[in-house]
Amino acid sequence: MDSSEISPSPERAKTQPSIGKKIFDFLSGFHLATALLLILGLLTWLATLEQIDQGLYATLNKYFNWKSVIIVPEIKGKMVPLPLLSGYWVGAILLVNLILGGVIRIRKGWKHAGNLISHFGIIFMLIAGGVAHHFEQRGNMAIGEGEASNAAEDYFEFVVEVSEIKEGKPESIQVIRGNYLTDLNDGKSRTFPLGDVPFQIEIGGYLKNAVPVSEVERAPDRKQPIADGYYLMEKKGEVNAENNMAACYVRIVQKDGSKSPLFILAGASFHPFTYVQDGRTFTLDMRKRLWPMPFTLRLDEFTADFHPGTMKPEKFVSEVTRIENQHEAKVTIQMNEPMRYEGLTFFQASYGPPGAGPGQSMYSVFEVVKNPADQWPKYSLYIVAFGMAVTFLTKLGLYLNSSIHKSRHVP
Amino acid sequence: MKFILGALLAFTCFFAAACDSSDDDFKLETRPLAVRDAAPKLHATSDQRFRDAKPSPVTATTPDGWLELPASQFRLLNYRFGESGLGEVWVSLSSGSLLENVNRWLGQFELDPLTAEQLAKLPTMTVAEHNASWVEASGNYASGMGQEPKPGYSLAGVVVPLPEQILTVKMVGPSAEVEKAMPALRNYLSTVRVIP
Repeated sequence: MDSSEISPSPERAKTQPSIGKKIFDFLSGFHLATALLLILGLLTWLATLEQIDQGLYATLNKYFNWKSVIIVPEIKGKMVPLPLLSGYWVGAILLVNLILGGVIRIRKGWKHAGNLISHFGIIFMLIAGGVAHHFEQRGNMAIGEGEASNAAEDYFEFVVEVSEIKEGKPESIQVIRGNYLTDLNDGKSRTFPLGDVPFQIEIGGYLKNAVPVSEVERAPDRKQPIADGYYLMEKKGEVNAENNMAACYVRIVQKDGSKSPLFILAGASFHPFTYVQDGRTFTLDMRKRLWPMPFTLRLDEFTADFHPGTMKPEKFVSEVTRIENQHEAKVTIQMNEPMRYEGLTFFQASYGPPGAGPGQSMYSVFEVVKNPADQWPKYSLYIVAFGMAVTFLTKLGLYLNSSIHKSRHVP
Repeated sequence: MKFILGALLAFTCFFAAACDSSDDDFKLETRPLAVRDAAPKLHATSDQRFRDAKPSPVTATTPDGWLELPASQFRLLNYRFGESGLGEVWVSLSSGSLLENVNRWLGQFELDPLTAEQLAKLPTMTVAEHNASWVEASGNYASGMGQEPKPGYSLAGVVVPLPEQILTVKMVGPSAEVEKAMPALRNYLSTVRVIP
């Protein structure tokens, strides 16, 4: 029989996977997931080292802010020549990887239900992180015993506020948020309309951390503009970023385009700037942003327990009354037992004044967090735990069933 | 392919949602009054707005012929003296050690820093019920605040270690005027008090 009589065996035509398939396989692959998790671990370790010198807030912004794509670590002032994708984008790609690989590509069927559930849990956790990153707000509220407060102060954001004063009190407060101010340096300025206020304001010369200094005491060293005998002396950013004091230069701008002399607004100032026009009195000020609360909190009693014989506090406990629409509710806030109410969480953060000891009058400081995804990480862990329990029980059931089946067939 | 496009679309939406607003998107906000919005001090001057309004923790009697100036962020008590009006005396509370502060002053005259042994040999006196080290220097004075060095200047003053801070009384000015004001400075030092 020669070769011509042999029918050629049908060979499976080899097809090259499409580019789309290759991309899908890469993005959904286990190798990508492993690499991303390793990079995340490395970023966390390097950030922990760098924040010692640079401060926590600056380091978090550098390593995990969405605006930061590639970061180069810096430890003890020395650059580490290892450019890395920033944590936000690692998390974003990990989210895509989990959706494509952990949900779409994964083998389906009741035997794999537990894995699928666990993957959903992790996806939920990553989404929680993204929501917190973009929408979380943090601030603090300091209240003395017997006093009340209905606003928290943001840790970092400085705003410009313009208020009309009637009968000695502010009647309406217009707020220019910090994101419209922080780029107003190096010669850049912006004019802001103020609703029904009969003028606009032009803001420029924004500095993240500065103090007003009298030109008589210390002459300007960088030709800083002088306003009423003062100029802004820029200071190095504080390691604890919440200690920065922003400042800027301002002019009043009339409808006809004419402008007032320069004046300074500074977070470090003790009183606002007053401006009178057409018989109306206005104050302008720069301060940390206040968030009004939907309720008032009154500190009834604050207790700080100290370790015996020391000034080191062991425990802080705040007994507060939450007042809303004339209804009162007694609440205890202490470490690890925050108050959660209407999307806000109040953590017992610290107390003051600094160095206060037993027997002295104190105030309690709460950290206030507004995070729509506050409880999502907890729920995601429940989902993951449930998924793992399902996986375990499924495997156990299959194993036991297999064992019983084998024992029945043993001769 | 649909799945890839779906994932990329979700990614892009996530990214776009976080984009910064442009100038055209300025939104003026308002906020309600808070309990802490006390009646503001209206028509405050720049001095009132920017100077520490707290009473000084240090007091002293102003000598005849010295011009008392307002306190500032860095100077609890602040004076001018001398015919030229260039002589300055100020009292501050600062941090650091006795040696660091003394050497900082000497450094402003481009003098070599002292060792601990040399520091111990400086003349001492009692100021505000504490032991104070007397420091003198002459030459080109560079305050280190971006200003050009001033030739023919002198410094005289004391650095006083307190329990938690350093009290300094510093006189700087043209050498002849500092020499002439030395008796007034010593009298002044005897009146300095720290309020507990």
